Amino acid sequence: MAERILISPVTRIEGHAKISIYLNDSNQVESAQFHVVEFRGFEKFCEGRPFHEMPGLMARVCGICPVSHVLASSKAGDALLGVEVPPAAVRLRRLINYGQILQSHALSFFHLSAPDLLLGFDSDPAQRNVLGLAERDPDMARRGVRLRQFGQRVIELLGGKRIHPAWGTPGGVLNPIDGRARDEIAGWIPEALSSVQMALGRMKALIDQFPEEIENIGNFPSLFLGTVSETGGLEYYDGPIRIVDAEGNVVAEGLDPQRYHTFIGEASEEWSYCKFPYYKPLGYPGGAYRVGPLARLNVATHAGTPLADRELREFKQRFGPTVNQSFHYHLARCIEMLHCVEKIDELVSDPALLDKHTRARAGQNRNEGIGSAEAPRGTLFHHYWVDDSGLMTKANLLIATGQNNIAMNKTVEQTAKHFVDPKKVTEGMLNRVEAGIRCYDPCLSCSTHALGKMPMVLEVRDRRGAVLSRYQR
Amino acid sequence: MRVLLIAVGNPLRRDDGIAHRVLEILDPDLAAGATALAVHQLTPEIAEDFSRHEIAVVIDADLDPGEAYLEEVLDPDRPALLGHELDATEVAALARKLYDWKGACLLCHVPGADFAEGGGFSDEAEGNAWRAARLIEELLASPSST
Repeated sequence: MAERILISPVTRIEGHAKISIYLNDSNQVESAQFHVVEFRGFEKFCEGRPFHEMPGLMARVCGICPVSHVLASSKAGDALLGVEVPPAAVRLRRLINYGQILQSHALSFFHLSAPDLLLGFDSDPAQRNVLGLAERDPDMARRGVRLRQFGQRVIELLGGKRIHPAWGTPGGVLNPIDGRARDEIAGWIPEALSSVQMALGRMKALIDQFPEEIENIGNFPSLFLGTVSETGGLEYYDGPIRIVDAEGNVVAEGLDPQRYHTFIGEASEEWSYCKFPYYKPLGYPGGAYRVGPLARLNVATHAGTPLADRELREFKQRFGPTVNQSFHYHLARCIEMLHCVEKIDELVSDPALLDKHTRARAGQNRNEGIGSAEAPRGTLFHHYWVDDSGLMTKANLLIATGQNNIAMNKTVEQTAKHFVDPKKVTEGMLNRVEAGIRCYDPCLSCSTHALGKMPMVLEVRDRRGAVLSRYQR
Repeated sequence: MRVLLIAVGNPLRRDDGIAHRVLEILDPDLAAGATALAVHQLTPEIAEDFSRHEIAVVIDADLDPGEAYLEEVLDPDRPALLGHELDATEVAALARKLYDWKGACLLCHVPGADFAEGGGFSDEAEGNAWRAARLIEELLASPSST
């Protein structure tokens, strides 16, 4: 009899989801689905609000990556004003984004994924968490806490608070940075650099212990999409979009993020509140692409900072010009953390950072504006339409986690097919399915624009949909 | 003794943000001797803040009706840690494991009645905020009695 295994709630990710594993008549895994089961509707309830309020409203989409939403929203506002943002504001926006990516990656790597990597996928689930990590390797756990604290502090010093800092605004940022805050950030750099290098070294050494997971958790050909600098390097704030394929060929180059809707389509499925974006020329679902740390490293030719450049070269030499194994999102995250610390150092060493002119003022000059930025989990687009009074008539948010939705579903299916034995389901098997999702560090609060954290349920169902067994944490 | 006061909650969800109100109405003379933090949620890095204080008081809204009360977190070794945020028990456990913290963690429950979107507080929550403030002031006046 055909069955379905359902994992719900999924643990150590942000938001609510469940995983269904469908079995065939031979009791083998036939397919799997990753369901996002929460709905928030930010796009709808911002209608009628003045567009100047949008960065503050959009910060509330997420408690983990509010800065990314503030930046994309502010940039959409820049477009509505039609202004050139002062250079100091651009530097400050970049600085807060590096702080955001650093704290988010530190949380994902040290707190959510390191327990699997350091304690093992089959270790006691009661210990397989940050407390278990603290027992096994307290120095690493402490460094993880401090690194995230550093990123949070950058956000707090610039935005006034760690969570939901509505400091970005159409035309720039609300306040400049003062010398004392700049110096405090600079004071953190040596420790942050040391911690990231330690994590990176540990991750590189650990990789060889997981050949089966690397081969079978999210290892498939797909496109990769990300923002690059004008010279093709790593870029998080502004630049053209590049898309590469599974072999490293450039599929599209110099795409204007302001025209994202011409090359990205958005499909939906009745079993998930999360959209399924795809690369339009290849259709749905053939145009599946991945975004985020791994995608950014795949599309970039170089990092642009000395230490990250060396690591990126080694990464590409070791795993190929395009790295298709989603397991390597973890290592990519570590390399990005290194790059962020280097870029923060670079920015706080620039006296121009203290320039007081941080906001261009203008009235509304357009009725449609698009803003994009690289969020921790990938490329983020905010698209606003406003009436002549500056009131929002429509919004479309294209979120990084949503853009990985097709890939996450493929990952769940591939992982389940390889690791799950329906006759004897073990906790370790289910943890690997969850771990496949955690590679992407999905933020479902963002992607459904929801509240709360993301526990996971796994159910076994027959082909007719009857639940035969259920696992819940 | 060094006392840490952490108000947890979202002020845009009415009574969910009542802990922030408790910090506002504390006797300033007594509060001046403590470290105060206002956050939306508890996160791992707060363990380090715990480690620098002998007493950590986590003030949080409570869905269950009743009067505000203080309780000591007695069993801080429960390992849940499923997502991006922690509860007071987990932060205390993390502080003990990472920093060998020997302090006491108290949870101040502030019952509310209205957790819908919006600002301001229900009468129940406002009354409980004042009760909670008095309980914390008593603690600040003689922390060694904890």
